[in-house]
Amino acid sequence: MGGKVSCTLGEVKNRADFILYWGGNPAECHPRHFTKYTIMQKGKFLPEGRKGRTMVLVDIRETMSVKAADIFLQVRPGKDFEVVTALRALVKGNRVDTALVEETGLKLEQLQDLVDRMKRCKFGVIFFGMGLSMTRGKHMNSAAVLTLAAEMNAFTKFVAMPMRGHGNVAGADMVLRWTTGYPFGVNLCRGFPRFNPGEFSTVDLLVRGDIDAAFVLGADPGATMPQPGIDTLARVPTIVLDPKVTHTSKLARVHITTSVTGISSPGTAYRMDEVPLPLRPVLKSPYPSDEEVVRRIIAAVDKKSAWLPKPATMASGVM
Amino acid sequence: MTVTITQNATCTFCGCVCDDIELHDDGVKIIKTKAACSLGASWFVNHTAEKLYPDALIDGKEASVDDAVEAAAEYLHRANMPLVYGLSNVTCEAQREAVSLAEKIGAVIDSHTSL
Repeated sequence: MGGKVSCTLGEVKNRADFILYWGGNPAECHPRHFTKYTIMQKGKFLPEGRKGRTMVLVDIRETMSVKAADIFLQVRPGKDFEVVTALRALVKGNRVDTALVEETGLKLEQLQDLVDRMKRCKFGVIFFGMGLSMTRGKHMNSAAVLTLAAEMNAFTKFVAMPMRGHGNVAGADMVLRWTTGYPFGVNLCRGFPRFNPGEFSTVDLLVRGDIDAAFVLGADPGATMPQPGIDTLARVPTIVLDPKVTHTSKLARVHITTSVTGISSPGTAYRMDEVPLPLRPVLKSPYPSDEEVVRRIIAAVDKKSAWLPKPATMASGVM
Repeated sequence: MTVTITQNATCTFCGCVCDDIELHDDGVKIIKTKAACSLGASWFVNHTAEKLYPDALIDGKEASVDDAVEAAAEYLHRANMPLVYGLSNVTCEAQREAVSLAEKIGAVIDSHTSL
């Protein structure tokens, strides 16, 4: 995995003449992505707007986004990694087995045409969604696409960007990165950060039942996790901070209602291209903000003894 | 009814975080949005300043925020391996506080990114 070659959405608007969406349905999930940032806008170096750009969509089925695409490539479910790998080989001019490509639901000519277009463009961008990153291969698929974008820079300018779903999930990555050094799934149990997706990622911890308490804010895992994970949340003491009484609140020991981010509570949110934007709350909420409640919990925890074991306990081997 | 118009409000519904939304509110509800998409418009219109939910719940029963904060601190302090999860629909400032809490209680901290 070799890092992310990316850019801002402003650069996409002003420069990108080749736009590839992979495993996402922006027409329905990010309705203004096309019109505000990508294909429909006239950019500084794209005075023709939509006519000056090529849009390719890769997905396992025809979605609403197909209408906006110049080329639609329908991949057999779970074969994304194979397609990216074939593309990487073609980019380098290596021979690719026709039969292996056909297993992915596509033809070699289609992939060769795609690679030719990618090499011909002046500024290419790949937006990848959860259809790529949450299906068979998971983070290895994301890594493969990021590598493809990086390798394309031997021929032309090329970048990749994940299509982030929830409002400030990009901000969560940023904050965890600058505070702990890792973007998600960070274990602080030993007093220093450890990172290991698959071991310290929430779904795995919950399904295995590894945790003995949960503090949930800005999420509703009680509605989205697999059943064994939800069972764990119901078994251990769960604390929820949310503007609504959610599915998770109903199985939690403690729920605290908080004001709605961006509508009532001020602060900062990161856009999917990692540009921070200030929020402009308009309504005065009768509830405290998440920030304030977390701070109050910290103050209450501070009044208790430190969680680290005492040196004497460690020496006697009771630990 | 006085209507306040706010220019360039920021929508936090999806990862686009559009910051060019015009909002018309009457102090309690947002009654009109301009420039927002269908998802953003329903996000703004469906969140009001009304008091629709209890301040806090402990074991499903209504409680004060003070008691709920105390109960939360007790549970988290007692745990050996607590999990701090979510962070997606909150501000960066709240996320930073959550990291601080996670460090204090020796927790695993994770967001929707890991799904």
